[in-house]
Amino acid sequence: MIQFSRFTLDNGLRILIHEDRSTPLAAINLLYDVGSRDEDPESTGLAHLFEHLMFGGTSEIPEFDRHLQLAGGENNAFTTPDITNYYITLPAENIETGLWLESDRMRNLDLSRKKLEIQKKVVTEEYFQRYLNQPYGDAMILLKSLAYKIHPYRWPTIGRDVSHIKNSGLRKVRDFFYTHYAPNNAILAISGNVKPDKGFSLVQKWFGAIEKRKVATRKIPAEPEQKEARRLVAEKDVPVSALYKAWHMGPRNSQDFHVMDLITDILAGGESGRLKTHLVRKKKIFSDINAYISSDIDPGLIILHGKLMKGVEIEHAEESVRQVINDLKKKYPSSPELEKVKNRFESSLILTNTSILNKAVNLAYYELLGDAEMINREADTFRKTDRKMVMDAANRYLTDTNCSTLYYNSSRQNSR
Amino acid sequence: MNKYPEEKPPVKPVDPGILPEARTIKLDNRIPVYLLNAGTEDIVRIEFIFKAGNVFEKIPLLASATNAMLNEGTLNYSSSRINKMFDFHGAFINQYTDKDLGGVVIFALHKNLKKILELAREILFLPVFPASELKAMLKKRLRLFLINREKVHNLATDKFYETIFGSDHPYGRQVVADDFNNLEPCMLRDFHKKHYTTGSLAIILSGKINDKVHETINQIFGGLSSRGSSQIKPAENPVLRDSIKTHVKKQDALQTAIRIGSATINKCHPDYPGLKITDMVLGGYFGSRLMKKIREEKGYTYGIYSSVSSLNISGYKVISTEVSKKNTQKAIDEIMKEIRSLQSVPAGRDELNVVRNYMLGELLRMFDGPFAVAESFRSVWQYGLDNSYYYRLAEKIKTIDADEITSLAGTYYNIDELNIITAG
Repeated sequence: MIQFSRFTLDNGLRILIHEDRSTPLAAINLLYDVGSRDEDPESTGLAHLFEHLMFGGTSEIPEFDRHLQLAGGENNAFTTPDITNYYITLPAENIETGLWLESDRMRNLDLSRKKLEIQKKVVTEEYFQRYLNQPYGDAMILLKSLAYKIHPYRWPTIGRDVSHIKNSGLRKVRDFFYTHYAPNNAILAISGNVKPDKGFSLVQKWFGAIEKRKVATRKIPAEPEQKEARRLVAEKDVPVSALYKAWHMGPRNSQDFHVMDLITDILAGGESGRLKTHLVRKKKIFSDINAYISSDIDPGLIILHGKLMKGVEIEHAEESVRQVINDLKKKYPSSPELEKVKNRFESSLILTNTSILNKAVNLAYYELLGDAEMINREADTFRKTDRKMVMDAANRYLTDTNCSTLYYNSSRQNSR
Repeated sequence: MNKYPEEKPPVKPVDPGILPEARTIKLDNRIPVYLLNAGTEDIVRIEFIFKAGNVFEKIPLLASATNAMLNEGTLNYSSSRINKMFDFHGAFINQYTDKDLGGVVIFALHKNLKKILELAREILFLPVFPASELKAMLKKRLRLFLINREKVHNLATDKFYETIFGSDHPYGRQVVADDFNNLEPCMLRDFHKKHYTTGSLAIILSGKINDKVHETINQIFGGLSSRGSSQIKPAENPVLRDSIKTHVKKQDALQTAIRIGSATINKCHPDYPGLKITDMVLGGYFGSRLMKKIREEKGYTYGIYSSVSSLNISGYKVISTEVSKKNTQKAIDEIMKEIRSLQSVPAGRDELNVVRNYMLGELLRMFDGPFAVAESFRSVWQYGLDNSYYYRLAEKIKTIDADEITSLAGTYYNIDELNIITAG
């Protein structure tokens, strides 16, 4: 049970504080309700590029990192299709330094052309390092643009193309700041050795004077229902062929979310998941295979992918996956199997809560979803899922017409 | 609405204070168990450690294959039964082989601890290494190996180890595709018999620990007969070699991976804490000289780091980065310039102050939570050291001066001794 206190400032900043006296440290997590889904299709990658610029300093504090390091702190950030999330861990005694730094860069950012040009280069290198210069590095990019036709989840957070990053101008970047970075568009969570009252008064001190801003209204087109199977074949210079599949599912706040999470664990969780047992160990069709949900706020995807063993035809591999999925649609999972995946979720929730940083990140995220208290209800929600819900959801979502399939074929002669 | 404060908040000096100590107990058969009681959740981390790393293998892959095969069938259970039981009890298992050690880490809930420990005993001491499972596993691993060989950072790292330790030493030897055809069950059985013994086992137990927990562990592991000794000889120390500059070709790569470094002292050497600090100034954190220059000023890379690592019979330091092909030489030149400047330009008061506080904060983080504590314990225990190493490091962080850093840089970053490896 994670106990926390909740406050809201007049400027709209929402605050959650969880006291954990077993640690000398504290974690501060500042979530901004903006991600790559809020971008203009013609200039994607901006939310993530902006995350880089947030470390570029302000007129008051030219070097963000230096002050945090002086206080013994460490920080980083990540951007997803839904959120931009900044976090700090530092000795609890110095928590005020963290709040000072975060409030300063929320107030005003010193954006210059020079800084922008450098970070555009850095992000371009990141694009190469993480996607384009990795075997299969662009597979997810291809898969998502096949599954989504309209919704912004169709482009990756880093940007649809390197040229989008190169073309980001200073004005666009400035506008982005003032329309998305605001106390009324953020959630601040603190966890660690901090008393809630004390924490709140420090947050009030540093964030209280920041004015509310007019946040851009979100106008995201809903993805129309997919009505036919979609397929894409790519020939790439990789050592072995790989199969990728994606099915549409409901939004994060729908009841089916947890059911689908359990289903992907039945398929690919641990070493005893069905895909691993049948297709890796018994039939030796894949060298490894995985399935998971994308966990997006808007309707997301169930994703499955595996790399083929030598000599296996990709059509055959796909058929073997279909059989495993059909099984799920026709037969209830046994009660030990259902119990198994629930136990795994219980353990992983407990494991997550051993870290103050995870707790702060999750509190802020659940608050964004509607209620931070959900952090304490997750285990129960999984427990309440029954075998009928599993079969129903499998039949509802894991259909051919709802599926996008990518054959990521090796162009090399000897790969089969 | 209040006014935005004009004064910045005061900063309290960072002090790691008193570090959590492991309590050592011996099971009835003398197996040492190190207990680290910490945390608030009903979960424990159990690590079983054997002297079973690469340094003990005569044939490539032998150590890692033996470790990976532990749960692929035992005297009493099939692999699928073992996997189902771990998964059913919500236990997470991680088998590892590094250059020196082989082991298994398990996370288990209190309520399932007994079951999980029984299962652990089974896979650690009664594996049978079935031929068909071994063949399947090697085939699978070969596919993954071939994919990994497509990544420039792996090509550069492997070449780096080969360069500094030698292709004939297990620390430096590179795995090739053919190695996956050369293992037989009897070799694994033999390696297991020699290295996975009660005599060489150590257990680190961390999390919420009460009397019941160590009673349980004694019940399950304390009754095993004592066999084997902890005095197994690893390979001979690697010989020092001349530094080289070399390139691994990778067709059509967009980026080049760079590794610059050499073999060096390990944690047991009195200079090691000072070297850690010197390395931090150079490239050990986000505010480091390399990061500021190569990423934040030049924009050549997404990230650049330097690190110093210990091994049981050696150690190494390495600067790692990936840059666009066209910037490779420029990046190397800038890195060399930074190393020279580390040897000649003393860190200013401000820079040193940042490094001191950041590192003391790191020390605090290294001991935060039940699992971090276990890892920090392991990484000194492995070298026969204890928390006194961390106290010496903390003391050095507080007292080192700028001249000592330049002097350490001169000794340990001698340009003539650095190898330059590129892949791309």
